[in-house]
Amino acid sequence: MIRAAFGCALLAGAFLVTTRPDAPGSGPFDIPLFNTAKVPDARGAARLVYAASPFGVAVTADGHARYDVLIDASGLPTPSSLGEYDAYVAWAASTDLSQWERLGEVTNGQSIVGQVDMNKFLLVITAEPKGAATHAGPTVLHGTSPSSWLQNFLTHPLFRGVPP
Amino acid sequence: MRRFFSIASACAAAISALATAAAQDPGVALKSFDEKRGGTDKMHMLSHVVSHPGAWKAADIEIEQDRERPYVYVSGFVNFDAQIYDISNPGAPKKLFDWTIENPELHRGIGAMDGKYFKIDNRYYYAQSFQFMQGSPDADLGAVIFDVTGLPDPSKVKVVARIKYPQSPGGFHNTFAYKHSDGRALYFATIGQSKALIYDLGKIVSGAPENAWLVGDVPNPTPFKQIGGGGYHDFYIGYDPATRQDKFYGAGLGGYSVWDVTKPEAAKQLFTITSLGMDVSHTFTPSPDGKYAVTETEYQYTPLRIWDLTAGQTGKTQNIDTPISAWTADWRDLSHNHEVRWPYVFVSAYEDGLQIFDLKDPKNPKTDGAWYTCECQHEHGFGGTPDNGWQSTTSVEQGAFGVDVRNYDGLIVLSDMRSGLWVFKMDGFNSWNGNDYGMPNVSSVQDWDNGPEKAATKRMVPLREGARR
Repeated sequence: MIRAAFGCALLAGAFLVTTRPDAPGSGPFDIPLFNTAKVPDARGAARLVYAASPFGVAVTADGHARYDVLIDASGLPTPSSLGEYDAYVAWAASTDLSQWERLGEVTNGQSIVGQVDMNKFLLVITAEPKGAATHAGPTVLHGTSPSSWLQNFLTHPLFRGVPP
Repeated sequence: MRRFFSIASACAAAISALATAAAQDPGVALKSFDEKRGGTDKMHMLSHVVSHPGAWKAADIEIEQDRERPYVYVSGFVNFDAQIYDISNPGAPKKLFDWTIENPELHRGIGAMDGKYFKIDNRYYYAQSFQFMQGSPDADLGAVIFDVTGLPDPSKVKVVARIKYPQSPGGFHNTFAYKHSDGRALYFATIGQSKALIYDLGKIVSGAPENAWLVGDVPNPTPFKQIGGGGYHDFYIGYDPATRQDKFYGAGLGGYSVWDVTKPEAAKQLFTITSLGMDVSHTFTPSPDGKYAVTETEYQYTPLRIWDLTAGQTGKTQNIDTPISAWTADWRDLSHNHEVRWPYVFVSAYEDGLQIFDLKDPKNPKTDGAWYTCECQHEHGFGGTPDNGWQSTTSVEQGAFGVDVRNYDGLIVLSDMRSGLWVFKMDGFNSWNGNDYGMPNVSSVQDWDNGPEKAATKRMVPLREGARR
C-alpha cells in the first residue's frame, strides 16, 4: 500500500514537471514579474517549461537546460503610449546585465517566448520598435529566474541585511 | 493648609512639565503615539527636506567636518541613490547631486544603506555602500566610491571605483572610514560572512590592482559561526591614546567584541560582551577613552545598554556580561544608531526621532532633548519584501535611521526612513572636543590630515569669539 502510494506520488510529480501548465503560479519553475512606475497597472508572471524535445528534458549540446518561457501578462498599455514603440519584447539578461538575448514578443494574455538556456538570468520585458534586435526601450515588467535565488548557507540573511 | 496645596500644586505642575520634556527617564509618563510631534524646548529644528517621494526615503547619513565643506550625504535606501546636500545655510539645504545605480528598475534589495566620506592627499571622497539581493544585478557590489573634491559643482563629482565582494553576495550593510595610526585611510565593511573586511582606501582611489585593496579582516567570534551565520552588523573604530592601539568595537550576531587592529593585517581579539538577550547585537560605540560603551540590540522593547569596559580593557576579564545602566526613549519602541560626543549620546531612535541623552553619571543616563521626526503609525515599520513595498504591520523599524554631529559647531543632522533629512541644533551644545570634558578628542570624526594620535589631544579653535562650548 505504502509502495503503491509512493509510486503514485512519483508519477504525479513527474506529470507536474513535464506537462505544460495553463498558467504560471508560485512553483519552483515560476517567475513573478514586477511592474515599473511607467506601467502601474501591468501585472505578469512567467513559467519555465522544457522546450520540445524527443527526450522529455531539453538540453543544449553542452548540457544546459533549454526552456520555453510561458508569460501571462495583463494591463500592458498600447506600446505606442510609452513612446515610439510597436511591441513588447521579452529578453533574458545575465545577472550582471552584460549579456541580453531576445526571446520574443509579448502581449496581454499568454505568450510563449524563448528559448532560454542560461542558468541564472533576469527576465525583462521592454517596449521596443518592431523587430528590435537590441534592448533600448523602457522596462515594463521584470523578474528573476528561480535559480538565481539559490545561495550558500553563509550568505543567508539570517541577520545582517534584513533588519536595518 | 491652602499654602501647602498651593506649593503641592506647583510641584505637580513642575513634575508634569519635566515629564513632557524628558522622554522616558525614570518616573516619566509615556506619550501616546499620536502625540509624538515636535520637540523639546532645548531643541531647534532648522530644516527638514522630504528627500524622496514614496513611503521610504533614507537610510544613513554623513556630514563633512571641515569648515569650508558644508556637505551632507544621505543614503537613499530602497531608492538606490546617494544624495549630496549643501547646508551652508542650515535652514535651507540645497540638493547638489543625486546618483542612482544604473538600471535601478531591475535591481532588488534594500539599496543604498551607509555612506562615509574620507580625505586622501587633499582630495575628498565619499563611499556609498549598497545591498542588493542574490539574483539582482550588483548582488556582489559593496560600495561605490566618488571623488567629491569638486563640490559644490556636481559635474565634478566622479565615480572612481566600485568595491565588489562576490564571495558573499548581498553587499555592505555598515561601513566605517578610519584614519589609522599608521597613516593609512582604511574602510571597514560588514558582509554576510562571519567577519568584517578591511580595505586600504589609498590603494582603491589610486587605481592599484583590485587584488591589493583588501588588506585584512576581523573575525566575529560568535558561536553562530558554527552554523554558518554570525556576521557583524555595525562597528566603531577608535584610537586609544592610553595604550596607543587602534581598536575595533564590533557588534554582530552573538554579541559584541573588541579587537586590536593596530596591525590590520593581523587583528587580535581583546574581549567580548556576551550575555542573555545579546544575540542580535547591532551597534557598539565606546566613550572617547574606551572606558564606557553604549550598545544597541535590534529588537523591540529593548533599551540601549551602558557598559563599563574597564575589566575588559585592562585584561582582567575576557567577557563582560552585566551592563551598568540602560536608557530608552519609549520602552514600547526601539532606538537605533547613535553617535557619542561624551557625555552626550545622539540617538536616531526610529519612531522616537532624534533623542539626546547624557552620561554625566553613566549609571543614571538623563534625557536632554528630543524631536519626533517619524510622524508615523506605530508598528507599521520596515519589513516584508519589495513585493509588498517593504511594509510591515508589526515592525517598529521606521523613522530616525541615522544621525551625525559636526564637531566644530555642534550641528546635528538626522536621516528619517519616513520623512528624509533633518537639521537641528541643541541649546548649550555649540561644538565638541573631548579635551573639554577631560577625555581624549576621539569620536567617529577622523582627522584625515594628522591622524588619530595628534587628533586625540588637538584643541578646538572656536567658531567665533565667544562661541559657547
